[in-house]
Amino acid sequence: MIGNDIVDLALARKESNWKRKGFLDKIFTKNEQLLISKAEDPEVMVWNLWSRKEAVYKVYNRQTQIRGYFPLQLECLDLEIIDSLLFGKVILKERCYFTKTEITTQWINTIAVENVLDFDMIKTLENRKNIQKNNGIPSYCEKENSISKPVSISHHGRFEQIISL
Amino acid sequence: MDKQEIIEKLKNIVKPYIKNQEAFDNLTESTDFIADLQINSANLVDVILDIEEEFEIVIDNESMERMVDVKSAMEIIETKLSEK
Repeated sequence: MIGNDIVDLALARKESNWKRKGFLDKIFTKNEQLLISKAEDPEVMVWNLWSRKEAVYKVYNRQTQIRGYFPLQLECLDLEIIDSLLFGKVILKERCYFTKTEITTQWINTIAVENVLDFDMIKTLENRKNIQKNNGIPSYCEKENSISKPVSISHHGRFEQIISL
Repeated sequence: MDKQEIIEKLKNIVKPYIKNQEAFDNLTESTDFIADLQINSANLVDVILDIEEEFEIVIDNESMERMVDVKSAMEIIETKLSEK
């Protein structure tokens, strides 16, 4: 299973005031709030952590079909930077998920997987051709009888990303 | 506060964050904040904070977890108001 999330930084700035009283407390754990306050650019850290939680929530939602709003139950851990990509883990209900985050001046994008080896298998799709949705969950199916592949679509402001396994 | 009053206040709260006007105009108890109104998931925090301010209640994490549609939001608001 896979999940992705993209944040258009200009739109996020317009839509959300992360400095609003109570905002950080509702969605980030104490440790995450510490990362934000220590960060060189706290705003980028807010959306970095948020995109990781969102991408992992999508994986969880596909696995369990459970919907809900529980950002505090997802905890971002172990940030490691390899070739300017941020690799991390997110823990949710004693399950561990892996995340890969790319940050540019315009957007932040996270891809989340259950199996760390799946990172190498992920492809980006150019459009929504052959993508079907079932209970709101998209999958890619080339021909009628072929096996469908998991897909995750994220769209925010100026940016859209579609990935598949 | 009756149900009608609560739903009217709730509509005013979510209005600035919705991205689907048609779903908002046809809002019912089964309307989903994200799937129907297309509220950005980061803005759902703002909806929750606005509810806390407007109704002068505190929404704990357990309640927040269920806060995905109008029906659950109404139930949570009613429960919290009755506990005041």
